[in-house]
Amino acid sequence: MEVRELTCIVCPVGCRARVRVEGGRAVGWEGLECRAGEEYVRREVELPLRDFFTVVRVRGGGVVPVRSTGPIPRERLLEASRELAGLEVEGPIRVGEVLVRNLLGMGVDVVATGEVEG
Amino acid sequence: MRMEEFEEKVRADPSLSRVSLRARLEEGTLFLEGETDTWEQVVELGHLAAGVEGVRGVVNRLWPRGLPRPERRREPKGRAPWDGMRADVVVVGAGIVGAAIARELSRYELEVVLVEKEEDVAWGQSKGGASWIHGFAGMDADPSSLKARLCVEGNALYDRWAEELGFPFHRPGLLAVVMGEELVPLLEVAAERVREHGCPVRVVGREELHRMEPGLPEEAAGALFFPTYGVVAPYAVTLALVENAVANGVKLLLGTEVIGVRVEEGRVRGVITDRGEILTSFLVNAAGLYSDEVAELAGSPEFTIHPRKGEMLLIDWKRAGACRHNLAPGELSEDPYTKGGGISLTVDGNMLWGPTALEVPHKEDTDTTREGTERVWERFSRYLPSIRRTDVITAFAGVRAATYTEDFHLAPSRRVRGLVNVGGIQSPGITAAPAIARRAVEILKGEGLELREKPSFNPIRRAPPRFRELSDEEREALIAGDRRYGHMVCRCEHVTEGEVVEAVRRGATTLDGVKFRTRAGMGRCQGGFCTPHLLRILSRELGRPVEEITKKGGRSRVVVCRIKEPLLRG
Amino acid sequence: MEREVELVVVGGGAAGLAAALKAREEGVGEVWVLDRNEEPGGILPQCIHTGFGLHYFRENLTGPEYIHRFVRRAREEGIVMRLNTMVLRLTPEREVVAVNPQEGLLRLRAGAVVLAMGCRERPRGSLLIPGGRPAGIFTAGTAQRLLDVEGLLPGREVVILGSGDVGLIMARRFVMEGIRVRAVVEQLPYPGGLSRNVVQCLEDFGIPLLLRSTVTCIHGRERVEGVTVAEVDGEGRPVPGTERRIPCDTLVLSVGLIPENELSEGAGILLDGRTGGPVVDEFMRTSLEGVLACGNAVTVFDLVDHVTLTGERAGEAAARYLRGELPPPRGVREVEPGENVRLVVPQRIAGEGPVTLYLRVSRPLREVRVEVGGRSFSRKAVRPPEMVTLTLGREEVGELGERVPVRVEGLPLER
Repeated sequence: MEVRELTCIVCPVGCRARVRVEGGRAVGWEGLECRAGEEYVRREVELPLRDFFTVVRVRGGGVVPVRSTGPIPRERLLEASRELAGLEVEGPIRVGEVLVRNLLGMGVDVVATGEVEG
Repeated sequence: MRMEEFEEKVRADPSLSRVSLRARLEEGTLFLEGETDTWEQVVELGHLAAGVEGVRGVVNRLWPRGLPRPERRREPKGRAPWDGMRADVVVVGAGIVGAAIARELSRYELEVVLVEKEEDVAWGQSKGGASWIHGFAGMDADPSSLKARLCVEGNALYDRWAEELGFPFHRPGLLAVVMGEELVPLLEVAAERVREHGCPVRVVGREELHRMEPGLPEEAAGALFFPTYGVVAPYAVTLALVENAVANGVKLLLGTEVIGVRVEEGRVRGVITDRGEILTSFLVNAAGLYSDEVAELAGSPEFTIHPRKGEMLLIDWKRAGACRHNLAPGELSEDPYTKGGGISLTVDGNMLWGPTALEVPHKEDTDTTREGTERVWERFSRYLPSIRRTDVITAFAGVRAATYTEDFHLAPSRRVRGLVNVGGIQSPGITAAPAIARRAVEILKGEGLELREKPSFNPIRRAPPRFRELSDEEREALIAGDRRYGHMVCRCEHVTEGEVVEAVRRGATTLDGVKFRTRAGMGRCQGGFCTPHLLRILSRELGRPVEEITKKGGRSRVVVCRIKEPLLRG
Repeated sequence: MEREVELVVVGGGAAGLAAALKAREEGVGEVWVLDRNEEPGGILPQCIHTGFGLHYFRENLTGPEYIHRFVRRAREEGIVMRLNTMVLRLTPEREVVAVNPQEGLLRLRAGAVVLAMGCRERPRGSLLIPGGRPAGIFTAGTAQRLLDVEGLLPGREVVILGSGDVGLIMARRFVMEGIRVRAVVEQLPYPGGLSRNVVQCLEDFGIPLLLRSTVTCIHGRERVEGVTVAEVDGEGRPVPGTERRIPCDTLVLSVGLIPENELSEGAGILLDGRTGGPVVDEFMRTSLEGVLACGNAVTVFDLVDHVTLTGERAGEAAARYLRGELPPPRGVREVEPGENVRLVVPQRIAGEGPVTLYLRVSRPLREVRVEVGGRSFSRKAVRPPEMVTLTLGREEVGELGERVPVRVEGLPLER
């Protein structure tokens, strides 16, 4: 059993929580003041997810910003970034266009968030 | 003071008890060798030595125990494109002095080569420092000294230079202000000393002073007014001189460092650079901070440079109305070797405050410091109380090439024929430059250089257009001729792409090169907006990948590589 | 070229586009947006992270996605966009003089002007950080542009000075691109950015956050070779003996944003010394007739959603002004920032309300009471990076006197 310290980010109070973690699950906590905080802390301990976004190279120079269509596990952020490092796309590209399907088998796509001219 | 007295003085001084000193006087050059505890002691002894009878120059090789010595690699670069080049005269150093001399020489039928170790001209003392064209060399300067005489001579020559070379120059004059009624009677006494230099000056009383300069505080009681004080941008003068010299046939070799001088039978035969040897019989050493080292390479050590750092503050030009004249403290500065600095107007509306003066052991020490910054602020903010800290755009520092005699060393070498040393040109070097150049040419003539006038010499150099200074009609015409003058790339100084392209055409290959030619990057955002634009334009105009563009040559790359490379390398 | 234009908007970022669209919606026939960049959107296209639009769209969007919606609508609504166009000056008579490569000099006589120039970053020079002037010193926004628009790496090993949001965001971007972030150095005893960013940009990646510290020297002649970091006392002065050197090749600065105000100053518009931007009323009117301001040019906002709202307010007011339907300011009440309040906008209340006030507190507090005039509002906790928004209804505005003191009371909030 371990005790982890986390800052809750749900509201500006920023409660500092101490969470008892066993077998990857939050089994008890202190320092939180509300329900939303409890839910946040539980998720952070058990399966922290993060939005994934980066830029991808465009043929001819420059880059286009992209994001995943849903959050991915925090632990796989760098892996996702490396996965897209070698990718080079070509215009025209519309905002929302899918550039990579099912990134690393995580069930999310990578879509363009900016435009590229043809 | 005779040599024996000098040595006795050193021996008797308890603060110098741990100094081991060997001194020898040879044909007017006093050589000092040994070790000290501190750098201050090295400088102190050098200054003391300069006072010995018969000494024309001090070569001070004293060094503090334990202090790392500067590294000078002096290795040939890969290729030697200049090898075998022939020149009538080689001028070393493309600062204002070297450039002025080269331009003077370009009036004659001569093959002149101007050699500069940096990637661009004016990157030594000529880019730092205040903007003053001095009326005289300072209260502590001896009016009969070379620097004092050449200062006054040079000052008078600036109008013509500005007209021919197209650099901005004007004469707002200088007010040396005293704060306190009790100091006012001393002003007339001081004025007499100034007149000994041949510099016009008059005393200004309280009322007139406040009319001339409404921004001064109540305590300002009176001043000396020097009407011949002017302002220039030293790097702009240097650039103009170089362009004119090159237009008149001078060969400019950048990125080329002198690593040796071939002397045979007591005369110059060639200048060995890190890119090949240039054959010549005449060498003008205008290498600024390194002029002592070039003299030594030629086997003619006659002086050494002790670097004196000066820190300055740059004030935003939006406060341009705060001050109408250059200002200086009327009281003498504590340091006898420096004029004390002041509040300088500039040609662009900014103010420069400073410089300080600090003896430092290393010539490359251009770091700004907290103490230096505070010192400048404290010393000068009292003269213009309306200026706030938030008006300060940045601080920078430069290093003066001071000899121990604290005078210019402008003379043919005593040992090597064909070598003319133009060393130790510190302030008022910018002012004196036109006069130094003439003198240097006279000296060369005296050394046997044949001077035949070149009928095709054209003294006129036109400055590039500056969008910021043009009227709307002129701007329209400029853009109609080249659309790139309609693309603004520097938000603070209103510099256009057209000007940047022109700067590259005139020799800029780096961000700083563009900056000094156009002002892009000098404004209040300090390059935050323009840098990505300038990188792109430089890359395009030079045909180089953007990762190779540098701020100031060498290893100063701005961006390190393209995105994703570190991820792909793993 | 010279012409009359009904509404000229200076700046095509979030604020400017919102103002332009709203004005168009309210019936203004000719709306020109002038922007100095080659693509519209202001700073948003380079803010590739999420967190935008949570309030305005109730969606979690990246910066480019957020602004794309406005750019697309601007195209559809026939708003005239002039890109690569730098406004050189604004005269008190509302002449806008600008320049671009295609048309040369433009002289636009505007019926109304909306200033939406956004903000710029404080550079190293203005902080007077001692040391050399090597290559490798960037403000965070410039580093962001180089990385996420130009596709170029500013460096390989970075120290970030300032823990404001822009610096934190870039810390994460650097790590994701294989650039090592050695530390984020913050002068205050608490981080300058949102807690969310401290967690997701620093803690997630194990980047050390050095509080109560600053950079005291930059080393390197040609390129940055390292920085010296020291602790600071209560007055921000370095404590001797606490210096240590951190090797790096890049220093990124996130030490302050300043509203762009050269045009405002040049036109003689009254500025607020606290915000650095123009004094405005709740209609976003400046002291110059027919000239309004919105977005970060007024004060640096925390959320783009607020920027958009102030833009819409300016656009709407501009439309009413052009129709002659905006009552001139009468019985103006001056908003006065008091205890624990660093700044408030709008600084003036000219009408009957409702009025939304945006304020920044000067230190973190909990169990907070915000007092505006005679009224009191409570908040659980407030921090400098997060603006406090308050809306005063017509009744509350009616009760206000000539001076409207705003103060904040509360207990210290420790992290």
